[in-house]
Amino acid sequence: MNARLGLATLLVSALLGLPSCRQKSAAVQTDPLLKAYDVEQDWSDPQKTIPLNYQQGQGKRLFYDKCVWCHADATPAGPSNRSNLNPAPPLMNDGATLNGLSDEFMQNIITLGGSAMGKSPMMPPWGRTLTQDEIRAIIAYARAIAQPPYHPPARPGSQYSEK
Amino acid sequence: MAPEDMGKVPSRMRFLFALSSVVFVAVLAVSPVKDLRREWKQYKRDYVRYAQAHPDTKRLLADYHPGIDQIWIPEMNVVDRCTTCHQGTTQASLADASVPQPFRAHPAIPHRVKDWGCVICHRGQGAATEVAEAHETTLAWEQPLLPSRYIQGACGACHRGNLPETPRLNRGRQLLAQFNCVGCHRLQGIERPAMLGPDLTNLGTKLTREWLYKWLKEPRTIVDSSGNVTVNGYETEEEPRMPKFRLTEQELRGLSAYLSSLRSKPVEVYQFNPQVVAAWEKKPDLVEQGEVRFRQMFCSTCHSLAVTRAGETKLIGGDIGPELTKVGSKVDPDWLTAWLRDPQGYLPHAEMPRYLWSDEDLFKVTRYITAKLTDPDLLSDVPKLAAPKPEEMQLGRRLFLEKGCASCHVIQGVTPQKDFGPDLSNLGGKNVSQLEFGQAKIPRNLLAFIQAKVTDPASVNPAARMPQYHLNSVDLEALTTALLAMTGTPSASGMERLIVSHPQAEFHPAGAFGEVYERYKCYACHRFNGYGGDLAPDLSYEGSRAQRPWMIAFLKNPQTLRPTLIFRMPQFNMTDQEASILADYLGMVFQSPAVNPAGVNQKEFMPQLASTGKQLYEVKYQCRACHTIGSTGGYVGPNLSNVGNWMTPAWIEAWLKNPQALAPGTIEPRRALTEDEVKALTAYLLTLRQVTAPTRAAPAQGAGR
Repeated sequence: MNARLGLATLLVSALLGLPSCRQKSAAVQTDPLLKAYDVEQDWSDPQKTIPLNYQQGQGKRLFYDKCVWCHADATPAGPSNRSNLNPAPPLMNDGATLNGLSDEFMQNIITLGGSAMGKSPMMPPWGRTLTQDEIRAIIAYARAIAQPPYHPPARPGSQYSEK
Repeated sequence: MAPEDMGKVPSRMRFLFALSSVVFVAVLAVSPVKDLRREWKQYKRDYVRYAQAHPDTKRLLADYHPGIDQIWIPEMNVVDRCTTCHQGTTQASLADASVPQPFRAHPAIPHRVKDWGCVICHRGQGAATEVAEAHETTLAWEQPLLPSRYIQGACGACHRGNLPETPRLNRGRQLLAQFNCVGCHRLQGIERPAMLGPDLTNLGTKLTREWLYKWLKEPRTIVDSSGNVTVNGYETEEEPRMPKFRLTEQELRGLSAYLSSLRSKPVEVYQFNPQVVAAWEKKPDLVEQGEVRFRQMFCSTCHSLAVTRAGETKLIGGDIGPELTKVGSKVDPDWLTAWLRDPQGYLPHAEMPRYLWSDEDLFKVTRYITAKLTDPDLLSDVPKLAAPKPEEMQLGRRLFLEKGCASCHVIQGVTPQKDFGPDLSNLGGKNVSQLEFGQAKIPRNLLAFIQAKVTDPASVNPAARMPQYHLNSVDLEALTTALLAMTGTPSASGMERLIVSHPQAEFHPAGAFGEVYERYKCYACHRFNGYGGDLAPDLSYEGSRAQRPWMIAFLKNPQTLRPTLIFRMPQFNMTDQEASILADYLGMVFQSPAVNPAGVNQKEFMPQLASTGKQLYEVKYQCRACHTIGSTGGYVGPNLSNVGNWMTPAWIEAWLKNPQALAPGTIEPRRALTEDEVKALTAYLLTLRQVTAPTRAAPAQGAGR
């Protein structure tokens, strides 16, 4: 009987906790249009929206499916797994960290995983799950939302816009 | 005239001749100058200037061509001169957002511009060489450029199946089915669902005339000026499907009279065991206990309730069933008890599971609903309505057909009109001159027309029969996108036919399993071989995945496996027999061909191997980033503390090798594990077992069927 009561309290308290999770994610996105894939709210400035082109929009879609769980502080399900990890993974808009990394490095670390590139092995390899085009789209998205903004190095023929 | 004067021209005439030739030459000279100043040539020159200042000059100028550029694809009837001005579309070095239009490169898309041209996706006039002619609606051209927000509508003209790349289009198509647009309109490739609104044949036993009056006047959904959707005054993200009809007072009285008089079968009033009632009536916390039970059974997985947190009230819960915040003021208490016991007794196709209630639980939960989920002011603004008069009922019956109610609702013996609304299967291909804007003060284009028609039909046509739908801005854009994709018959080039999946399953197994499956409506949330809902995990391969004892224990007492999930499986209070029927059938029938239990030799899983696996789990692959064991680890994937009791060894091996082969959309990435590593990890995972204290659910008595 005691176990039953304990279980009941546990379930009830879990349910009571749910609304707060929902609200947290809802508070991040006030304008429903921001859920669309052709704009993204600036993560560090809720007043600003960033327009995304097709490739960046696809990147956003993939990001919110696969990456958001560890590379953002709010996820569609509410809590983020980021605080669980040590070292903490960079936020996807962390320009200070990611702007310095070349497109090739980003492509490699996503494809091969953290341990292959001398980073945290908690970052899994995605090369057998996502296509190279999809990974390029994710990089294009990260570049688009970067704060401070990302400026591509001035060299001809960067491969990430080629058709 | 004298002969000597012949050939002599008066000097005045000569002067005139000279002047006219000068004017003629001057006029002739204007046209090359005019030609030189043509819009597209200006862009050509600007591009050269821009290219010269760009670091990639050599490449850009090598690809430059001074004349009109054209993409000509005769077999697709494409003559696109857009690249005359949009010269950088394929130049990788012009991809950055800082490059001014029209020179910026096109972002990477699955179709090559060279093979498809531009107009197929973007619309506009491909052969035009002037900006206005190419982009806008002109007298000669009525298919202007599609704003990029709606461009997925162009994808949908050819791609009849859902593409992952076009979420907005997919959502729009889902809405077309959800709001049952095909109930009244013809739409290419979308079929009418088997059933949409509730069957109203027996409505009078459930609701009062006053409640119906209020509902018909203002379905509880309200969208305020900032676009927030509220139901009963509470904020929500879901739009209920019942639209608002613009009904007069007389029409409201007529329809409410007719509907409230529909009583084909009286409610079977359930007689509780008098001892149970006597014992429970005395308890002061009866309603609170009912609430606890309501929560424990996870009614909120399907039904939402208004919850106030930090001063903000929102609807929390699922949208499979209706929102219940004020249901106690809506339905008849006897009807409620009968419904909870046996929903299918009232509506044969109801999606609500038939729970196995104990008298005690049923009594408590009913009391909670009728005492707490109420609003005394709900019907305060409804006028006093007397008993329905025959002429009111007659009017109501006529209106039921005339207003199109019969397109979504069924009343036995009432046949709906065929093709009630206009055919929309070519709406997306319509020219502006084919649209009737009436007195509407909206821009004269297709997009504005569609959106006005959906959100406020009377603004376009005051006599429109179409009701008013409340859509938030995202869904309005999605719906518009899906309608833009309706451009008549799709090309018969082997493209998939558009299918909007219906959550109502076509899969209805027979036998003992079928009975339990229907009783608990497993398919409302789970998917079986492509049929069913998508709220809960796909169970098509459950037989390969889960061990039988685990399945039985889970069915009897569902616990969440993924800590981040909001919705959980309801507590059905299943009997042991029902749980084992389900587990047996799932184990027998729902097997994956990719999982081969015969290929696994459990004797290999020695402690030595398991400790290698532990090493791999903890160090090399750091699985704990996403999975929890005990109290440490991430919460992206399921908790693995009890995986040794839960999953079969063959499933674990197959999953580690290729998760997407077993669950195509799963987040877990596929890794390059060696055969030995797979074995070691499996051996380790199988050692993870929790000893659970046996939880005994109170045996159900009497109330269920």
